[in-house]
Amino acid sequence: MFLRLVADSFSRRPRHKLLTGAALALGMAVATAALSVSLDVGDRLASEFRSLGANLLVTPQADSLPLEIGGVDYRPVNAGAYLPESDLGKLKTIFWRNNIVGFAPIVEIQAHVLPMGGTWLETPLIGTWAEHEVSLPDGRTFSTGVTKTNPWWRIDGRWFSENTKECVVGTEFAMKNGVKIGDSLSIATGGVTKIPAPEKVTGILSSGGPEDNAVIVSLARAQVLADKPSQYRKLYVSALTKPEDDFGRRDPSTLAPADYDRWFCTPYISSIALQIRQVLPGADVRVIRRVADGEGAILTRVRTLLWLVTFASLLAAALAVGASSAASVIERRTEIGLMKALGAGSGTVGFLLAAEQLLLAFVGGGLGYALGILLARLVGQKIFGVAPGFSFLVLAVTIGLAAIVTLLGSAIPLRRASRYEPAPILRGE
Amino acid sequence: MPDRKMFWRIIRRLLSANRGRLFVILLALGAGAAITSALLNLQVDAKRRLTTEFRAFGANVIIAPRDSRGSTSATLHQSILQRIPTRIGSNEIFSVGLLYAVMDVAVDSHARPQDVPSKPTPVVLAGYSTDTYRKLLPSRTLESSQPTGWTDMSLCYAGSNVARRLNLHARDSLFIGYHLGSLYADVATQAQCFVQGIDSYGGPEDNHIFVNLELIQKLEHLQGRLSVVELRIPGTPQEISAYIASLQKSLPDADVRPIRQFTEGEAKIYNRISGILSATVALVLVLTALCVMAAMTNVAMERRNDVGLMKAIGGATRRVLRLFLAEAALLGLTGGVLGAAIGILLSMWLGKEVFGIAARPRLIVYPVSVALTIIVAIAGAYPLRRLANIRPAAVFRGEA
Repeated sequence: MFLRLVADSFSRRPRHKLLTGAALALGMAVATAALSVSLDVGDRLASEFRSLGANLLVTPQADSLPLEIGGVDYRPVNAGAYLPESDLGKLKTIFWRNNIVGFAPIVEIQAHVLPMGGTWLETPLIGTWAEHEVSLPDGRTFSTGVTKTNPWWRIDGRWFSENTKECVVGTEFAMKNGVKIGDSLSIATGGVTKIPAPEKVTGILSSGGPEDNAVIVSLARAQVLADKPSQYRKLYVSALTKPEDDFGRRDPSTLAPADYDRWFCTPYISSIALQIRQVLPGADVRVIRRVADGEGAILTRVRTLLWLVTFASLLAAALAVGASSAASVIERRTEIGLMKALGAGSGTVGFLLAAEQLLLAFVGGGLGYALGILLARLVGQKIFGVAPGFSFLVLAVTIGLAAIVTLLGSAIPLRRASRYEPAPILRGE
Repeated sequence: MPDRKMFWRIIRRLLSANRGRLFVILLALGAGAAITSALLNLQVDAKRRLTTEFRAFGANVIIAPRDSRGSTSATLHQSILQRIPTRIGSNEIFSVGLLYAVMDVAVDSHARPQDVPSKPTPVVLAGYSTDTYRKLLPSRTLESSQPTGWTDMSLCYAGSNVARRLNLHARDSLFIGYHLGSLYADVATQAQCFVQGIDSYGGPEDNHIFVNLELIQKLEHLQGRLSVVELRIPGTPQEISAYIASLQKSLPDADVRPIRQFTEGEAKIYNRISGILSATVALVLVLTALCVMAAMTNVAMERRNDVGLMKAIGGATRRVLRLFLAEAALLGLTGGVLGAAIGILLSMWLGKEVFGIAARPRLIVYPVSVALTIIVAIAGAYPLRRLANIRPAAVFRGEA
């Protein structure tokens, strides 16, 4: 009888049920979308901030004091220490290896450059990786380079390929010396005795920094020119981090063992720096404060803001669902009156209506979830360029929220309905 | 005007007919208006606030002498600092002029006062024109001290790398100049400074010692000259690029360029965040409309008899519909006025939670959210359209 009543209610007024169900589904779709976007967005935002470039700088510990002004080091090539390139694969073996987004070793020297039909020019030469496959100790490879650590660098043409006589020139250098893509340059270091074989210009780099005035070659070429095989002077590392809080700012050497473990196992920039120092002997790892601190401050703010916005849309969704289920109970006063006149108790009536609402909540919530996932993909794609993945938590929260909100929304009018006197309602008053 | 009087009387009766539902609709509209106005206010404010938060990244624009990239020989005249406006809209522009020089430095340790100063080492010295350089070059202070007692030494700050190489600590003092301690030493090109702090920047600044600009200018015989000016320009990406263009026009002898690493990164983040906020406002509005629509469908069902009667005694369909639209608009107005006020208060509190400063209430947000609520209420009354098709006879016969 109970099931029949419920089935009857659905088949007799399909339009009403459809509308309430639609409101429910749409409300829950919004809730799902908001939840899954903001659950996913934390990571997404952190990687968004990586567009600011590297946040860690590795230099040799034994290095002499660099005399660097405006990105140009005025030390002679032989001054200062270098680090072995072969250790770099170890960066992907640290505890937070998956948070290492990219790294790029740099060799910088002053070189003599001879453009076609020009004269020898004293020019900064930068050797680095554009896109390089680093072989890791576990046998896999990891593709990285300046395109990962310095995403704001724009290249006209293409990057040089490794192990070839190719180079890229900075836009200022190209403009001043009339160098175009496809031209050739000769590069030499030390005392020039004969003109070396020319290198082909494959692209023009615009960085907005000192690189605009330099010639960029592959790391291997620069190592040959500097006579420092398989070594580098500077390493930029871009890592995904958690904004530093008071705990993260504490000096790890003063922490109790349990706290130290917690500190070590949290992707704070300082703990990642320490882990890198452990795998690269002789290296000094410094946090680029400008990037890391700014990133941390803004990330914290934006995350709070996002949760707040999510909460607001959940609230709006709950209200929409609650209001529509309240409305659907109010409209059935006559029916309730009739049931009570026929001898049904308030409990039975309440139970029947609650069962109907719950059924609606599950169907509507499920539909809403499916719709919400689509919406989340759309919004995620539009705003972040990547669709959020599936999360069981979101499904559970959505269905749970739908059930609670419909019941709460129906509870108030139901309580009033249980106080109805059947007679005046049936009379149509 | 009995007609007008009657109109309002009917509206009053319609509104008070079912208190429960009136409450539901008002609640939906009020809450919708509250959330919309809170988000709108926060959106306007958060965008502005976000651009000021970007301050944490330090300088985003530099002014360098023309054709000087990669060389230190060219300099700017100090008067350029006065030619830079100090504000853009209501936001302050921070700027600092820097002059670089490579000089010998010797350390006089405060811990071992009897020792002679250390062997001179070449270090890059950066003279700063104002203390704002600390805001423009974000750092973390490792050591700091206050000068004890009266001293006529100028103050300086060392980068962490310099401090480590030279075994330098706060409260030490430095001898700066050329040919330190040699027979050729020229007193006019020597100075002493007190190390007030040691900071870690994580950039080339770690290799610099920051001293007073006048000191470097005097030692280098470069009075009134600067190597570079660093600026922090607040604002949206469009505002920044417009400002750079206008600054370049007013400073034809210098090269004004954005530090792309920060300007581009900021633009990306800014666009993402404002996209999210706008999307949420739109969603909330849709939800509110949905809410009202659900309630109004029931209103339409219940009012069949009333409408049938009105039509039977000669009410034109248009007049009847106008009645219901007026009712919806009235509900929207009430819900909007109440809700938007609550929402603005809410956003002030939320602003305090998120950004630490209460969001400034924007007057424009209030009418906008009330108007949006009224529109939503009228759109939500869409189901009432079905009332136009009611045939009085069918209703009175009790047919569906």
